[in-house]
Amino acid sequence: MDLPTLKPFFEDKPELLQEILDRYPPNGRRSALMPLMWEVQRAERHIGEARLHEIAEIVGVTVTEAKGVMSFYSTFHEHPVGRFHLQVCRTLSCKLAGGDELYRALVEETGLVSGETDAEGTFSLQNVECLGSCGTGPVLQVNDTYHERVTRTRLAELFAEMRAGREPVPTRERGGDNVSADKAERVDAPDGTSVDAPDGTSVDAPDGTSDEEGGVA
Amino acid sequence: MKVVVDGVTLDLPPGTSAIDAVFAAGSDVPYFCSQPYMSPIGACRMCLAKVGAPRKDRDGSWILDEETGEPKIFWFPNLMATCTTAVMDGMVVDTRSEPVKAAQNGMVEFTLINHPLDCPVCDKGGACELQDRAYEYGEGVSRFVFDKRHQEKHHALSDLITLDRERCIHCKRCVRYFEEVPGDEVLDFIERGGHTYIGTLEEGLPSNFTGNITDICPVGALLDATSRFRGRNWEYHHTETTSLDDASGSAIVVDGRTGRIERIKAGHHPEINKTWIDDGTRFGHEYADAPDRVRRPLVRHDGRLVETDWADAMDYVAARLTEVNGRDVGIAIRADATLEEGVAARALADHIGTGQLDHAPRPAGGVIAAGGQARLEELAVAGAILVVGDVTEEVPIVDLRIKDALRGVTPPSLFDHGAPIADLRLKERAPRHAEILTVAAPLRVDLMRHAGRAAQYPAGGERAFFHALTALAEGETPADGDLGMPLEAATAAVDGLRKAETAVVVLGGWVLASLQATEAALHFCRAVGAKPMLLGPMANSYGLELVGVAPSHARYAYGGMLTGAKALILSQLDPAIDPAVAERLDKLELLVVHASFLTATAKLADVVLPAAIGYEKDGTVVNLEGRMLPVRAAPVDAGESRDLTGFVKAFGEAAGQRLEGRSVKSARRWLKKGLGVDLDALPEHGGWAPAKRGPARVAVAVHEAPAHGGALRVPTMVRAEVLDRNPHLRAATGGLALGLHPDDAAALKLRSGDEVTVPVAGVPRRLVVRPSEAVPAGLATVPATPDEPVGLVPIDLKQIALERRALEVA
Amino acid sequence: MSTVADKPAAITSRFDPRYEITLYRHVGVDGAHTLEHYRARGGYRAAEKALTEMTPTQVIDEVKASGLRGRGGAGFPAGLKWSFMPPIDGRQRFIVCNADESEPGSFKDRYLMEDDPHQLIEGMLIAGWAIQATIGVLYVRGEYYVAYERMRDAIAEARAAGLLGRGVFATEPDGEGDEATPASPGFDFDIILHRGAGAYICGEETALMNSFEGLRANPRLKPPFPAQAGVYGLPTTINNVESFCSVVHIVERGGAWYASMGTDDSKGTKLYQLSGPVARPGVYEMPMGATFRELIYDLGGGPTEPAKALIPGGSSTPLLPWSDETLDLPMDYGTMARVGSMLGTGGVIVIPESQCMVDAMANVVRFYAHESCGKCTPCREGVATWLPKMYQKLLAGLGTRDDLTLMEEMVRNLRGTAFCPLADACAMPVAASFQHFRNEYEHLVDHGAPKYPTVSRWAE
Ligand SMILES: Cc1cc2nc3c(=O)[nH]c(=O)nc-3n(C[C@H](O)[C@H](O)[C@H](O)COP(=O)(O)O)c2cc1C
Ligand code: SF4
Ligand code: FES
Repeated sequence: MDLPTLKPFFEDKPELLQEILDRYPPNGRRSALMPLMWEVQRAERHIGEARLHEIAEIVGVTVTEAKGVMSFYSTFHEHPVGRFHLQVCRTLSCKLAGGDELYRALVEETGLVSGETDAEGTFSLQNVECLGSCGTGPVLQVNDTYHERVTRTRLAELFAEMRAGREPVPTRERGGDNVSADKAERVDAPDGTSVDAPDGTSVDAPDGTSDEEGGVA
Repeated sequence: MKVVVDGVTLDLPPGTSAIDAVFAAGSDVPYFCSQPYMSPIGACRMCLAKVGAPRKDRDGSWILDEETGEPKIFWFPNLMATCTTAVMDGMVVDTRSEPVKAAQNGMVEFTLINHPLDCPVCDKGGACELQDRAYEYGEGVSRFVFDKRHQEKHHALSDLITLDRERCIHCKRCVRYFEEVPGDEVLDFIERGGHTYIGTLEEGLPSNFTGNITDICPVGALLDATSRFRGRNWEYHHTETTSLDDASGSAIVVDGRTGRIERIKAGHHPEINKTWIDDGTRFGHEYADAPDRVRRPLVRHDGRLVETDWADAMDYVAARLTEVNGRDVGIAIRADATLEEGVAARALADHIGTGQLDHAPRPAGGVIAAGGQARLEELAVAGAILVVGDVTEEVPIVDLRIKDALRGVTPPSLFDHGAPIADLRLKERAPRHAEILTVAAPLRVDLMRHAGRAAQYPAGGERAFFHALTALAEGETPADGDLGMPLEAATAAVDGLRKAETAVVVLGGWVLASLQATEAALHFCRAVGAKPMLLGPMANSYGLELVGVAPSHARYAYGGMLTGAKALILSQLDPAIDPAVAERLDKLELLVVHASFLTATAKLADVVLPAAIGYEKDGTVVNLEGRMLPVRAAPVDAGESRDLTGFVKAFGEAAGQRLEGRSVKSARRWLKKGLGVDLDALPEHGGWAPAKRGPARVAVAVHEAPAHGGALRVPTMVRAEVLDRNPHLRAATGGLALGLHPDDAAALKLRSGDEVTVPVAGVPRRLVVRPSEAVPAGLATVPATPDEPVGLVPIDLKQIALERRALEVA
Repeated sequence: MSTVADKPAAITSRFDPRYEITLYRHVGVDGAHTLEHYRARGGYRAAEKALTEMTPTQVIDEVKASGLRGRGGAGFPAGLKWSFMPPIDGRQRFIVCNADESEPGSFKDRYLMEDDPHQLIEGMLIAGWAIQATIGVLYVRGEYYVAYERMRDAIAEARAAGLLGRGVFATEPDGEGDEATPASPGFDFDIILHRGAGAYICGEETALMNSFEGLRANPRLKPPFPAQAGVYGLPTTINNVESFCSVVHIVERGGAWYASMGTDDSKGTKLYQLSGPVARPGVYEMPMGATFRELIYDLGGGPTEPAKALIPGGSSTPLLPWSDETLDLPMDYGTMARVGSMLGTGGVIVIPESQCMVDAMANVVRFYAHESCGKCTPCREGVATWLPKMYQKLLAGLGTRDDLTLMEEMVRNLRGTAFCPLADACAMPVAASFQHFRNEYEHLVDHGAPKYPTVSRWAE
């Protein structure tokens, strides 16, 4: 819950705020609405009402309008999502590759159904629509990172990592016929390898690339 | 442009929408999202029709149909939403063929799948666009077998408006209205797709113009909270009349049922309020039915007011008046009396033989400008506007017309079916030209949010402000501080006014309260070639000035007669709220009060006569631009209440005289003779009042603003004197506010919501503390009532008494 | 009379020795996303050529000559679109890149951005020059975080290298005397990178502009078209990622070269995407007019189980039944239209025999239902509410034959009546499934169970 006493999010980030506002032409201040929301959400895993007020004020719109915008987009959250936000694609190509089964396995594993977050704030589970990874389904997006061709085995590994409090290391395939399994490359967690644990301590993502992942059948 | 609709050939101006072509041709398509005076958006898809047009060859000649030799019609591959399609030369529109009917059926079916079937209990039943259209264009049976969307059914958007989310059909009229008309974006769609609903995070919908959404909502989703569950549309009697709540002359419709006023809706006056009214006008009707309304005449017997009838009461009045020298009788009426009532008051004064005749509140310099008033239509297209005052509260419609000018859209021409259903020149989120607007006031007022330049001059500094502006206009450097804005801004404002083809200077009550300030303002207008618009304090300020309900000498003005007269006849005025005045009134030889409530003054009276209020009269008022507009009585039960013509008739009968103004008809005969206007033949949308002739009989100060003081009386959109009898408005506004700068409030250990009593110009006022950054430090604001016009007055904050603490908010 | 010999046959096959990989040559190559890599392989040469040797009109003419049609789905000729920009009048102009790629079955733009971000920047720079827009807007869908980061970093690199910013390709006066070429101030151009947040409708160009402006992403009324009133109401041209990338090569090698590939109405090279149960799903670059067979069998290794239908260009395009004739169809705009479907984004989805078609369509409908913006009635009530409920009913075994008639009628009511093409995008594939697979629907309602029970294809 947002308390009225919450310190404004951008109060101690004047450079960041200015950089975001400066991206857009002077007549386009409102364009900063979504980028500001992204900043808040990446830091706080949701956009609470107090933040919404702050953002609305910064760009000069009513809170109602800010809410109208925020609620339009399915990746902005009103309530905090867990530390690992599991987003499973179940659209046609992923479905044909086992997306529904992957979802059911996630339900079993977490005890959650789509839209829920566990009491500890560790996991949130959400059905999502096509993630643009149709050639490498089924896809599981954990926070901002795609995990492609998630098999039952791979899922177990992912959970082992996450339950140990670590952001699982993704592999990324570079689509197309230039690519084969041996070319799968490791990508770091977005913006470096450290992820914030809920208690504010920083956890380093482990090193090492998983090599059996990816690759063409 | 030649357009053929269902075989009917029309000649229409370019830019006309196909939907207006359809209606102009006498055909019909259903529609839900379009709304006159708002942008067409093509969202409901009800207005689909088959549309085709001829095409030109490369050489510029029409491609001909080989069979007929006529230009060949190329049909658009899809049905077109006619609301968002502009007519083209030679266009053919077909609203009757099978595919069109099938599509209309389909759209009605889609619209209804999530719409609850609660028509029998819906307030909108019988006046619901969806219900009508479903009958006309639907199949009658629903094939949707699933559970409908369940959402909140009684969501209080504010104290004034209730939302039934299940009924909403997402036409977006309400959301667009807020953005496009008042520019207060307090309502929006939340979520998307099938989950979309309208909602707000702005507590209480902060805008003076919220109620209009209840008029334009095509279904029963948005309802006027004052009339919810009170009646069905077909049970209401609709009276089209003119609002007497301010000087705009806005058209309203009074809906009454079994002798009661249930609600007020906006009427349509294309040149005044279009189809909008402010919330004060809409929701401020409940007092008409207040239980403490005076419904029968009262005469004092043995110190007690006792009910009687008009004849008896008037016999008493006539008899007692013979005991007083006619010259010592004062007559004062409130400035929202009709022209006909004004004639009656004059006749009464003439009969009694007194020059002590006045209306109040009456600004010192009058409200008819020497150089010709600006009309609202001119304001709406002005290229430069200077506002001095708080129009949003004073005459809210003026605020809306200024916003028309900011959007730069000239008024549409009308069709036989009225304003264009889809005016294609109007766009969602059109930019507003803030730079044409300058707003000046002694405190921060709402319209400043929309203004390119805002000036905050010292309270009471209106005259100095205009002197400084005039100096600028004449190439001099004005004194520092008088302008309340940087010199460059003021220069830009003056240049804008001078250069604009149509420039308007709107003068609010703070200016008009002072004769000198008014003169300075009018002088400035002449200097830059701008037209003044004077905001009369009440509905008929202009008209009463015109018919000369005015004293023959300054001594005989309202303020003077309160001290000088030996007998008084007061209509709808309540000077006794001032204890000092009450003391004097108590000593009068005769006090006759024509009032709707047992006011402080009525309580002192010898005779109290029940007064009709605005919804209960027939007559005419002249609005701030000089337009004569009809006032029509709704069939409501107001006991034996009468207006002043009825008063004079009864008096005449008692005095054995047939006085002029003894009826609306007789007053009009006089007006025809005296002013040369035939009010019986007034056109539907009113007519222009004749220019004022003869010497300015009223250029005498009634209330000269004091030079300094600690409190500023501010205008309010609500009728302050009856706010407590308007429970919904009272809840919405939180009561009459004592505005204080937050630091001042803190110094007095007051917080928002505290109820206090404080003497303002000697009158104890019960007010609710509202700290606000908009109020300059050291100043307090108090709402004006008809007996206390706007302007600076002394306040004694040391004597402030805390009556009730606000609840502590956690 | 011209003979076949006068007119060399266009390249329409990946297996034509004259064909070479163009758009996709850097994808899948380590380090390809860096400026160093890109420049070392001739990157930004095309932009330099356009900006220093060609007038904006010449660039537009070259693109017109290439026959390039927009790769975002609708296939509108790119050069023609560019020429719709109003004359220069001092107002800011925008070039917008639509990188919202959200159509199920499409995933080409993502790889282009992740592995070859500079190719896209170069394409936008050239397009910006052509329409004289000094601000580029790159709208990347919110889920594409890697692409977003890669683009962000690449833009920063390009800025640092003077390839974006003030005076791109400014030159000093060169030579002496008569021969001297005057100094060129260069071209001012920069890109605003903007991130979406999960809404398919943002791919619709005007909804994208609303989203960019910080509004709810409802599509706008057209006209005015973006060229008249786009971003912030100012003249704007919008194209897809692949379209911009193609422009780089058109400028570098000439419109005629580009037009030498493809079919009559579809020129050049295209990224086809293959998904569903096939041996090697992925993105494959082929000349326009290559056949499904070449894509699915020769490159994709063929279906891994018997197939019964294919979706030719993303889930909104009407499916085609699996047959030899279908497989031999050239994948170009005209052919797809002729057989009642569309090329769309070129995202081919193979539907296996064992997949219940009603279930597959329920999935497609659910997607559009989830993504409907809610602005107009047919889409909000038909696509987002009623149709998915009908599918739920069918799949629960509760449907009747009347329901099927009702659904077909509903789909007819959705066709061409909505505000934007999203409702059509939902209605068209459903209509096609009724056309070709009504028997599966009938089986389901008659037996209360699908003809093909669910099988798991999830790999262990
Ligand atoms: C509902 C809808 C979704 C769309 N999604 C995309 C998209 O994700 N990416 C894209 O490039 N174009 C998309 N488009 C097409 C765009 O509106 C637009 O035509 C395109 O970006 C123009 O670029 P092009 O001419 O280069 O194809 C979509 C259109 C519609 C109606
Ligand atoms: S509440 Fe009424 S006016 Fe507003 S969108 Fe719904 S139906 Fe339209
Ligand atoms: S689409 Fe609603 S009136 Fe035309």
